[in-house]
Amino acid sequence: MTNSAVRMTGVVKRFPGVVANDGVNFEVLKGEVHALLGENGAGKSTLSNILTGLYRPDEGTIELGGTSVTFGSPKAALDAGIGMVHQHFRLVEPFTVAENVILGNPETPFVIDTGSTVERVAELAKRYDMAVDPNAKIWQLSVGEQQRVEILKVLYRGARVLILDEPTAVLTPIEAEALFKTLRAMTAEGRTVIFISHKLDEVMSVSDRITVLRGGRTVGTVATRDTSTRELASMMVGRSVEFSRVARRNPGTASDVVLSLTDVGCKDDRGRQALHGVNVTVGRGEIVGVAGVAGNGQRELAEVIAGMRSSTAGRIVVGDKPVPNGRARAAIAGGVAHVPEDRLHTGLAAGHSVEDNMALKNYRTPLLSRFGLLKRNIITSQAGDLVTKYDVKTPDTATPVRLLSGGNVQKVLLAREFSTNPKVLVAASPTRGLDVGAIETVRERLVEAADNGVGILLISEDLEEIMSLADRIVVMYEGRLVANMPAVGATREQLGLLMGGATLEASR
Amino acid sequence: MKSPVRLERRLTQPRWLNWAIPVVSLLGALAVGAIVLLATGKNPLDVYWRILDRGFLSQRAITGTLRTATPLAFTGLCAAAAFRLGVINIGGEGQLYVGAVGAALVGLWVGGSAPVGITIIVMVLAGMLFGAMYASIVGVLRSQFNTNEIITSLMMNYIAGIILNYLIFNSRSYWRDPRSMGFPSGKPLEKRAFWPTYEIFGTSVSFGFLLAIAAAIVLWVVYKRSRLGFEIGIIADSPRAARYVGIRTKWTIVAVTAMSGALAGIGGASQVGDFAHYLDAKGLQLNNFGYTGIVVAALARLNPLGAILVAVLLGGLTNAGYSLQGPDFPSGLVGTLQGLILFTAVAGEILTKYRVRSNSGATKAVAA
Amino acid sequence: MNSNLFIVIATQAIFYGTPLFFAALGGVFTERSGVLNLGVEGMMLVGGVTGAWASIHVGGSPWFTLMVAILMAMAASTALASLHAFLCVTLKANQTVAGLSITIFAGSVGLSSYFANIWKVAEDPVTRQVRKLDLLGLGDTPVLGPLLFNHTILTYLSWVMCAVASWYLFRTKIGLQLRAVGESPQTADAMGINVVKYRYIHTMLGGALAGLGGAFYSLAIVPTWVDGMTKGAGWIAIALVIFGFWRPGLTLLGAYLFGALQSLGTVLKSRSFDIPGDVLDALPFVMTIVVLVLVSTRFAHKRIGAPAALGVPYEREER
Repeated sequence: MTNSAVRMTGVVKRFPGVVANDGVNFEVLKGEVHALLGENGAGKSTLSNILTGLYRPDEGTIELGGTSVTFGSPKAALDAGIGMVHQHFRLVEPFTVAENVILGNPETPFVIDTGSTVERVAELAKRYDMAVDPNAKIWQLSVGEQQRVEILKVLYRGARVLILDEPTAVLTPIEAEALFKTLRAMTAEGRTVIFISHKLDEVMSVSDRITVLRGGRTVGTVATRDTSTRELASMMVGRSVEFSRVARRNPGTASDVVLSLTDVGCKDDRGRQALHGVNVTVGRGEIVGVAGVAGNGQRELAEVIAGMRSSTAGRIVVGDKPVPNGRARAAIAGGVAHVPEDRLHTGLAAGHSVEDNMALKNYRTPLLSRFGLLKRNIITSQAGDLVTKYDVKTPDTATPVRLLSGGNVQKVLLAREFSTNPKVLVAASPTRGLDVGAIETVRERLVEAADNGVGILLISEDLEEIMSLADRIVVMYEGRLVANMPAVGATREQLGLLMGGATLEASR
Repeated sequence: MKSPVRLERRLTQPRWLNWAIPVVSLLGALAVGAIVLLATGKNPLDVYWRILDRGFLSQRAITGTLRTATPLAFTGLCAAAAFRLGVINIGGEGQLYVGAVGAALVGLWVGGSAPVGITIIVMVLAGMLFGAMYASIVGVLRSQFNTNEIITSLMMNYIAGIILNYLIFNSRSYWRDPRSMGFPSGKPLEKRAFWPTYEIFGTSVSFGFLLAIAAAIVLWVVYKRSRLGFEIGIIADSPRAARYVGIRTKWTIVAVTAMSGALAGIGGASQVGDFAHYLDAKGLQLNNFGYTGIVVAALARLNPLGAILVAVLLGGLTNAGYSLQGPDFPSGLVGTLQGLILFTAVAGEILTKYRVRSNSGATKAVAA
Repeated sequence: MNSNLFIVIATQAIFYGTPLFFAALGGVFTERSGVLNLGVEGMMLVGGVTGAWASIHVGGSPWFTLMVAILMAMAASTALASLHAFLCVTLKANQTVAGLSITIFAGSVGLSSYFANIWKVAEDPVTRQVRKLDLLGLGDTPVLGPLLFNHTILTYLSWVMCAVASWYLFRTKIGLQLRAVGESPQTADAMGINVVKYRYIHTMLGGALAGLGGAFYSLAIVPTWVDGMTKGAGWIAIALVIFGFWRPGLTLLGAYLFGALQSLGTVLKSRSFDIPGDVLDALPFVMTIVVLVLVSTRFAHKRIGAPAALGVPYEREER
């Protein structure tokens, strides 16, 4: 009898143009929390999708408890006791919690007995200390509660191996702590947890062992107690990383204000108040970092400034002119550049060519159009110049941007945004999902722009990024700015506490 | 379930697919049609030859074909214009009726008095305006309330049909011919309000058909070179990107839907001005011009110039169907063939998005 | 309004509403699985012509003939529906265009007319018809008799189907899973539900019911085949699905309401009430648009249960 819960050997998965897994070896023991650590694009999601039967590996073997298996479908994996909690929840919104939990379960009787189902779900939730009402509809629940439903779902199916894909990305630190406790309760019962993450410290605190992936290959597996954040970081990126502040040629100033928000409020897509009286200023050449857990109003903040979303209160001034409410064209004309989080489908039109995307912000100017007709030859030459200047790797300017690599996509976006000579740049997670080389290029471009006098509002969940680039840091929590401090002297611990809702005093 | 082949997303769409797909679709449909004909005891080669003969091979045939192609070109452009933006306006049928109502109204009103040129212009404009206003109801509901335009435009087709009948059957209607005995019909236009026809290489070409060609060229320029076309492309590709750069998406949806309706409206006007010379409630509803326009747009892959070509092709098929109808050539055959062409086109469309790959060597299902 | 007139209108509403309900109930199943079927009109007509042919040409006792005719009608429309499923589910084609192709292919100037022509269906009246049946001898009971006990067997069948369909959709496991497939195929797939199978089966079930509705026209309403005899009932059925909020019970009520509007004009005219028939004809369409606008808001969507994935081909997120 082996103690191995899952063993994957030599797993290869190719997609058109990419090798996502290139001979991955991965073994998880029964009753442990095993972290799967790696940067975005390291192959973690592909590997878990193979393990849950969504993808079929091109090569390699999977063993469960020592027996070789092949999963033809997610159902086969579920039946074999492997359950996945996806980062993007797989829940049916108009259904109740209980209905979601029993969905697809072969043991559900043909005629559903609602009463006993609700009872059993409530019992299960209680056993693992997860507060959730089985009769509530999913769309009425908070994100944290929805995640609990996801976990209940796989537990109800009797999963012995649970895979959680970046489960804390949407949680506050307090909710995350509760989740870790639940995970512990599950391993205590002999279940196995595979915890996918790219966050070093949470991996250190929750896991027993850690496997690191890089570029689709296994770097190694280590016991958590024998390693350190620093060692993991270097395994993850392939060299030891120095978290140091980037040198500035022209340090920014907080006094010469280029962007100011006064008591700005707005609603989110569901009509709930997303921002409450936000006050913030960005000076000429200053980089202001906005730290916070995703979903605390950062996206709305960026969209309000960029004119994509109407504010419900307050005023926004760029340079010395107020920006009309909710009008993207006016914001662009006023000197606001915006690198949105969703680069490929918001910042760019993915199916359109590089040259069309380069013209996206200035196609209405007399330079590029007259009498409603476009000057295509100038659009092409403009794109050619920008491609050269920003070193975009593309076969030609007629290539659709969706065919470019992530780093080049971001280069196209930055090239276009900087070409409009902005006063202010709002950048949301500008390096997320990029490889190390591209991250460096993007950061250099940001600093260069700030050196040239552009005020930058850098919104990021990545504390290292904020701490190494920003002059000043503000923290967002539940739609409010809860702290405003110089970057020099701020500590990770302090910021982490603030992001989780602690007051500034308490964080000191 | 496991199929022997699998579909793999294409990264790029090669240009040759633009013409290869319609051609292969057509050949495929003829092949399947041949099977249907054989199974029902007809000789497919004979049937196809006669369609070719009566649709395309004489000056008289071409005259009739262009006559049928004219409304199809307009409804095809109507569907293509809306589909390009991702607005599935299948209300070309109703917008065509309403355009005919508008054109007939001004034609009857000023046709006897105003100069010929003015009469024609105001008839075209009235057709456009009526069609545009009728379609913009769909556009406004879609942009303001996010109401599914497929169903609303479909319902509006039936409402338009009812309006059309009402205008002819109601005894007090301005459009009705007071002299019509027994079966009511539309009031005829003055001769001066008839649209001109041109003799080109022995076939007569209606003014409406030339208008359709002009409209197609204008649309082509709009898509290729204009700011509006650029914005339509961005909205269709990524609504979020459109919001990001401040394109007025709602306004564009209403404007494009209205433009789409205006195109069908000219088609309706041409039915009055070019051919019937009165509001022909029955004739307008008989042919499903609006629905066939969707076939035209789909086969032309939403290309406006392609829509003219396809309209002529399908017009020929329909026209041959009219003149051949009889014991040897059952009614319904033309619709069946059109449907088959559509099926093969729909199926062929998949080749633009996917490559078909063999699934051999893949793993077998079922866990051990 | 006097009760006699009410009864006349109500019985007519049930009679004309029955085929609408069959087709719409089929639409409820199909749309609940996330497939939009705009081919209903074509499927009804092909079902209608097949049923008419069988009623004329299949020998045996009247009951046997009618049963065969109805089954053949359903088989023919199911074949068309499986074509629709192939295009929409397997080939992931645009569901609007695919559905319209079905209607153009099979509709009033397509295959149904071709079949009618080569089979010479229109030349003879349909001899074996589905007639009204005096249930339990209670047909003469005042008020309740004509309302409840004097209908065709197919109307009684539709009532049973309505109850069974509600139970199936909202009380059984398969129904729950079907709704999940139409709501969030990604979720359903992740939970091991075969999205393709559910969509195929319910699209074909929808087709079968459309064929049954079509057969009602050729076997019960109009005794002789006429090309395009359903006169847009297929489109009304699509509207009814929305009108009934994708629920069998409400769809049945809606079908009777639309049936009433269809017959109201003639009934009122015969009793010299002067209401323009055109207004009544247009009402179902106008009401559908109004209802559609009301259910379009996001807020209403989740409460009413319009399948969120309706019309969207499902594709696993392969890169």
